[in-house]
Amino acid sequence: MAEPIIKIENLEKHFGDLQVLRGVSLDVEPGEVIVIFGRSGSGKSTLLRCVNFLEDPTGGCIEVDGVRMEAAPRALRARREQIRQIRMKAGMVFQDFNLFPHLSVIENLIEAPCIVKKEPKADAREFGLQLLDKVGLAEKADEYPIRLSGGQKQRVAIARALCMRPKIMLFDEPTSALDPELVAEVLEVIRDLAREGMTMMVVTHEMGFAREVASRMVFLHEGKVLEEGKPADLISGARDERTRRFLEAVL
Amino acid sequence: MAGVGATMGRVRDRVEAGSSGMPFRVKLGLVYTGIAILLVLVFFWFQFDIAFMREWGPFILGGIPLTLAICFGGIALAMVLALFGALGRLSKSALARGIANFYVSFVRGTPLVVQILFIYFALPQLAFKPSSPAFLQTIFIFPVAFAAILALGINYGAYMTEIFRAGIQAVGGGQIEAAHALGMTDAQTTRRVVLPQAVRVIIPPTGNEFIAMLKDSALIGIAASGVELFGRAQNTGLGQNRPFEALALAAMVYWLLTSIFSFFQKRLENRISRGHVRIEGGGH
Repeated sequence: MAEPIIKIENLEKHFGDLQVLRGVSLDVEPGEVIVIFGRSGSGKSTLLRCVNFLEDPTGGCIEVDGVRMEAAPRALRARREQIRQIRMKAGMVFQDFNLFPHLSVIENLIEAPCIVKKEPKADAREFGLQLLDKVGLAEKADEYPIRLSGGQKQRVAIARALCMRPKIMLFDEPTSALDPELVAEVLEVIRDLAREGMTMMVVTHEMGFAREVASRMVFLHEGKVLEEGKPADLISGARDERTRRFLEAVL
Repeated sequence: MAGVGATMGRVRDRVEAGSSGMPFRVKLGLVYTGIAILLVLVFFWFQFDIAFMREWGPFILGGIPLTLAICFGGIALAMVLALFGALGRLSKSALARGIANFYVSFVRGTPLVVQILFIYFALPQLAFKPSSPAFLQTIFIFPVAFAAILALGINYGAYMTEIFRAGIQAVGGGQIEAAHALGMTDAQTTRRVVLPQAVRVIIPPTGNEFIAMLKDSALIGIAASGVELFGRAQNTGLGQNRPFEALALAAMVYWLLTSIFSFFQKRLENRISRGHVRIEGGGH
């Protein structure tokens, strides 16, 4: 058993009176693909966003590739350097792509490596072009995001995250904002990444994809992990009634 | 009445029929030419005083460089104040926000002409009160052009605060999250993601503010008569009993200046929207 690369211990998050995460614990081993699913409001996105501290946890502990941080609400500024360390190890892909519209595709990719890691521009460009080739968009390197389709934008977003050479990748509903015919090309890229052994946490509604790619599926219900297991096990016979009902509804 | 309406209708029909072969732009050009001829006729009918123009024209026109200098200085100061004002209004600090809100409310809530006269006349009065410390005499007495830049800059800065605030907020929050997720600090995010995009939103309205300031700069002439274009026109016009000639000249010059800058403003707006909303198509 390898040492987990992501450790989530008793994670809690509340927004004012609303308790969104009520003590989530999860270990992810290197190379695993964890698919988190559940109803809207179950806390899936919040859980993911706590891993790289885009949300500030109110309780519990996060550890990513050896960098460990206890929750300390409203102490974000004091710990920003540590948070940055974690963020450099974790690449994130958003539902709304969030590309920088004032930069071309290749400039989007090399912005962070050059500014944050002070990589030489030429090296970053070379790696960036390789990544664009990998996601099938090499010829769009000098295009501006406004001219790309949704599927293309998301693939650029994935390449941009990969350009920082992260240890893990976080996907927050990567295909939910895409027209149906554009979903496949993005899932293809994610599938390739999984095959190459990238550790990933994916929040998605694409259950067919989850079944195919996930090492483990985690059902989140009202801020807690209700059930988890291998895709085949969960889908053929989940232990909990609520898990079964949810899976029946979506599959 | 019905009779007049019907006659006008028939006249319009005949004009339309007679000119139906011409493109609209040519017809428009004819209208402009007609107005220009009308203006020349007016000048001749009212015996526009050419001798006055030859003698005092150069002096009045000599105010143009000062008008422009005051406006460039004023807009620059306004932009600095607007940036601080916007950051202040968006700030989480109660002190910053309070000061910014007061600045915007007070300056927008008082007339520009009052602010100009305050700087030119009220501040020197305060400087020379017996109870005032001596250093106020150096601080509150400004060179004439400098006071103009100060007045216009402070006034326009309060209005442009809204422009700058909107520009900063126009940058989608998701991008800031993405920048943070990539490991960028707040400073890096502001410098590389927010400001470059905010600038594109801010520049066109700022150009319009400059053009408005060209006209507002005339108010300086109420306080100081020999400095910029209008002040000189008013001074010589009233002094030489030729207000029509002097003010007509000034009006023409303002019109020319605003037209020239408006032309460049449109070109600038077209260039700015390069990477943005205007481009359609793409791979859908």
